[in-house]
Amino acid sequence: MSSYSNGGFFNAAYHDSETLEIDRRSSSKTHHTNPYAREDPAWRGERAETHHSSTGWSSSDDVGRAPWGSRQDESWRGRESIPMGVLSTHQGSPSWQHDHNHSTFQIAPDSQYDRTMSIRLPSSGNMTMRWRGLAMRRMSMFPTAGPDQLAFAEDAIRDEMENEEQKLVEELVALSTRDRIRAIQDLPMSFEEKKHIRNQVLAFKSSKQSHQFTCFADCSENVSLSLRRCGYNINSARQTLELWQGIMKEIGGKFGTSVLSYFLFLKWLLMFNIFSFLVNFGLITIPVLVYDHSPNKPPNVNFRGLEILTGAGYFNYTVMYYGGYSNETLEGLVDYNMQLSYFFTIAVYMVLCGIALIFSMASSFRKNYVLADSSSNSAWQLLCSWNFSITNEKAVTQRMNNLCVQLKESLSEKAQGELLTRSEKLKHFGIYLGSWLLSTSLAVGCGASVYYLCQFEQQEVTDADHWSLTQEAETLLVPFMVSLINLVVPLFYSLFNKFEHYSSQRRQIYALVLRNVLLKVSILGVLCYYWMNVVAEKFSCWESMVGQALYRLVIVDFFFLMLGSFFGEFLSNVIGTRFLPRLGVPEFDVARNVLELIYAQTLAWIGIYFSPLLPTIQILKFFIMFYLKKVSLTQNCQPPRRSGRAAQMQTIFIGLLFFPFFVGALSMVAYTAWRLTPSERCGPFRGLNSTFSVVGVWIDDLEEIPGSDWVVWIYQNVIRSEIFYFLITLIILVFIYIFWQVTKGRKDLIVLLRQQIVNEGKDKSFLLEKLQNLQKANPNKKPKPKNHKKHTKRRSDDQSSGGQSTSNAMVQALLARQRLEDDEERHSAGGLPVPSDISTSSVLMQAMLARQRADKQDEDLCQMPNKHQTSSSALAMAMQARGRAEDHGRDEYYGAEDFSENSFNRSSTLMQSMQARQRAEENAAYDVDDPSSSVSSVMMQVMQARQRAEEQDRIQVPAAPQNPAPSGSSSLIQAMLARQQAQNEYDDGY
Amino acid sequence: MLIRLFYRYRDLAPQLVPLDYTNHPDVKLPYELIGSMPELKDNPFRQRIAEVFSEDGEGNMTLDDFLDMFSVLSEMAPRDLKAYYAFKIYDFNNDDFICKSDLQKTLNKLTRNELTEDEVRMVCEKVMDEADLDNDGRLSLEDFQHMIVRAPDFLR
Repeated sequence: MSSYSNGGFFNAAYHDSETLEIDRRSSSKTHHTNPYAREDPAWRGERAETHHSSTGWSSSDDVGRAPWGSRQDESWRGRESIPMGVLSTHQGSPSWQHDHNHSTFQIAPDSQYDRTMSIRLPSSGNMTMRWRGLAMRRMSMFPTAGPDQLAFAEDAIRDEMENEEQKLVEELVALSTRDRIRAIQDLPMSFEEKKHIRNQVLAFKSSKQSHQFTCFADCSENVSLSLRRCGYNINSARQTLELWQGIMKEIGGKFGTSVLSYFLFLKWLLMFNIFSFLVNFGLITIPVLVYDHSPNKPPNVNFRGLEILTGAGYFNYTVMYYGGYSNETLEGLVDYNMQLSYFFTIAVYMVLCGIALIFSMASSFRKNYVLADSSSNSAWQLLCSWNFSITNEKAVTQRMNNLCVQLKESLSEKAQGELLTRSEKLKHFGIYLGSWLLSTSLAVGCGASVYYLCQFEQQEVTDADHWSLTQEAETLLVPFMVSLINLVVPLFYSLFNKFEHYSSQRRQIYALVLRNVLLKVSILGVLCYYWMNVVAEKFSCWESMVGQALYRLVIVDFFFLMLGSFFGEFLSNVIGTRFLPRLGVPEFDVARNVLELIYAQTLAWIGIYFSPLLPTIQILKFFIMFYLKKVSLTQNCQPPRRSGRAAQMQTIFIGLLFFPFFVGALSMVAYTAWRLTPSERCGPFRGLNSTFSVVGVWIDDLEEIPGSDWVVWIYQNVIRSEIFYFLITLIILVFIYIFWQVTKGRKDLIVLLRQQIVNEGKDKSFLLEKLQNLQKANPNKKPKPKNHKKHTKRRSDDQSSGGQSTSNAMVQALLARQRLEDDEERHSAGGLPVPSDISTSSVLMQAMLARQRADKQDEDLCQMPNKHQTSSSALAMAMQARGRAEDHGRDEYYGAEDFSENSFNRSSTLMQSMQARQRAEENAAYDVDDPSSSVSSVMMQVMQARQRAEEQDRIQVPAAPQNPAPSGSSSLIQAMLARQQAQNEYDDGY
Repeated sequence: MLIRLFYRYRDLAPQLVPLDYTNHPDVKLPYELIGSMPELKDNPFRQRIAEVFSEDGEGNMTLDDFLDMFSVLSEMAPRDLKAYYAFKIYDFNNDDFICKSDLQKTLNKLTRNELTEDEVRMVCEKVMDEADLDNDGRLSLEDFQHMIVRAPDFLR
């Protein structure tokens, strides 16, 4: 073909680039799954009106035409031959946009139609997105419309809105009631519009159902309605009843999410404890109390008051501790085996805790870490961190300052990071090393001192029924020291932190948290070791002693927490405001406070075996803590100046709660149950070798009862067999490996997809650049940048010269639109629209519009001197239309079930687009020799043939409404034949 | 809930808003009144919020606009909806993209012009760099939503 001119535009390297090619193709495959992306170029195109001109698009033609010269005959069949096929998504917009400019008002709805069609979605789930995009477009239309264009734009918009609304209503009708309500709620529209939509949907639905009215349907409708209302009411009631809801809101509004996360964590732990209290109290304590409610205490033990602190003495003989429970089988209405209930309650509780922790940790991790990208930190800070629910003026200024400081820091960090000299780096490294050594040795030293203190206490305390007051008070020494360490040492740690220079604030927080965890773990580890090895040997009822020790730790820790928030926060507030304003108001240290909570919860978990009612104390403690912290926060503190991402911190806290602390507590309890000998004189397990052997005894009993063989079998072959655990471990390992591989693969995929997005962007910018170059090169092609103004000018041009074929094309477009609307109406009357049909018709429309535009450009060609580009642009348009048609065809092919009908549809669209292409080529061929008269004559013929075909089509359609697609395609085939004939004639004549 | 909001609305200007809304009187409250509500008074974006939700685009609100605003700002509103409106709030020049000038305005509103011009420019560039997936030099709604998906504590 002689028109094959790449001029200066064809960039071979760009075009032949393998990766781009692949990217494009794969994106064309996937773009229909992301309807929003597909739609986006449409309105982007509208915005980019300044680029619009008939020459403007020729840059892509030069790229796209390369493979055309060689295989123009059969190339429409294969997708491989259209490397730029995906461009149709980018340039789908010009097809209608062009109409805006050229045509009169009658065409306008047509173009709107095309747009609504082109953005049709495969699934209704995303309809809100589409609607949203539309609404956005609607907004954007107003500012762009000039005064002369306003009436037109409003007209068009109204039409568009109506069409869109109908589609939406149809989609909504197809949904279930609950989904529909949610979808309507999700629409970004005003109240009035939502009401309107809802009424329409209901009306549509009722009209559809009216003819199949039955009493049953009516009843069920009513029942479901009232149930739904009831559900809403319960939901809202639950929200208002939810614990501390108002306070939470207030805290969130005044101090932001990071402080709020502390309170949420506190509440979560409180719920945990309430659950464990209910379980323990209901399954262990109540049976004992019902059976025998008088504590069997010796006569000389009385309640003296100090017990509340120490937990010793009187409490020792109540159900508070392990020792207060008997090993009997309680005989009431049913026999209640105390041993079994104690063992299984604790075991099941621990397992449930573990599962709950794992699940909340995993979901929180998935939500907050895997998705969150650490690289987009400043974007997050700027655009996502603003909390619109903050209502306090002080908090607003505080947050603004924080943001300012953080942004400045991140900027200066970047600048500084590269300037550090080697000696400075060495110095920093030395400081890290020193402070880590110091903090670790502090933790170890604290552990050792606690151990010696415990040994000292063990010498003092005797295994007697009755302690003197001083003896009882001495037991408070260890918990006091432990709590003191927990209060003071973290202060040293934060002091170290001030000397270190961490490159990021997150690392600083992590280091601090890690050191604190180390300290707490070492203390708890030493205590556990002491209880397991020393206390268990010495005391006759050692479980109760451990329970007492834990009780004391919990209580003293509580007092220290109160004191800490009083002295730590209140006093430093007073000092900061009155005496040393330099220090300022103290900040609420989320990390430290949360670690305190974690520590307290760990004590409760360890104690669950030794003191089943410890959760009661814990509930009280947390409940008081909540109000205390809230008051202290509002009175004394300011929001933290440097806050990390709250959600991520929360994940870390839950993770910490699980890993060293819960796992530690679990293994401690498990060790106690499997290995240690229960005390012989007290408790439910007296006389057994280990707690776990209670299960063996039970199984032995079961063997005598017929019908319970399966339990025995499970015990023998599953619980006690090593092979079972071996197999389980093996299977789990295999699964872990598989999932790990899957994750790896997904990571690779993510990298690839990202690369692809970048490539798409490059694509776009490349084309835009070309476009701009072209615009600069041909300023006469496009006298005014605003297409609205050009619109009128163009129209006059059209009328002056090539009026006839223009009107022909217009008539065609109108006819096509009418037919489409007929189709639509038929579909909507006959039931729900079949998606494949609609997409077909949209493809049809697009092809038509592309053709129409090709006509226009052809006409321009007659007037304007610059032919090559226009003709080639027409060609490209046609080609794009074809590409798009094929895309749609393929989508249909995969998406629909009715293959036969689909093949018809597909062939029709393909033919359409092929015609468009052929004619465009034809035009291009004319264009070379510039026989303008013959062009118009052949054109006229073609038009008439087409028109006739379409008229036939219209006649056929009412006659055979059941099977529109085949008839349509047959008439189209006719039209195509006519066209080919015309071409042949022309060739002959030439 | 609705009735409470109506009274809130009426309390802003009792002389303007009639109690009887049965025949849909055409009443608009000027932005000065809307912006002085305690919920919005301290919000640096109060003018943008009012503009986005008002039908005339200038912050003057009818009762319906008012209800819309509160339904979106309430914590029950779906996240997608919130993201959509947040995008519009940040899109100062209503061109459906957050471009650099929008970012600068956002930044200036959030930091009360305390950063130097250079710093503002650097931050904006960084944000663009991080959030703009298709490298077209501005953030579209998809870019924004993609970012929000990865920011789970957004607007909580």
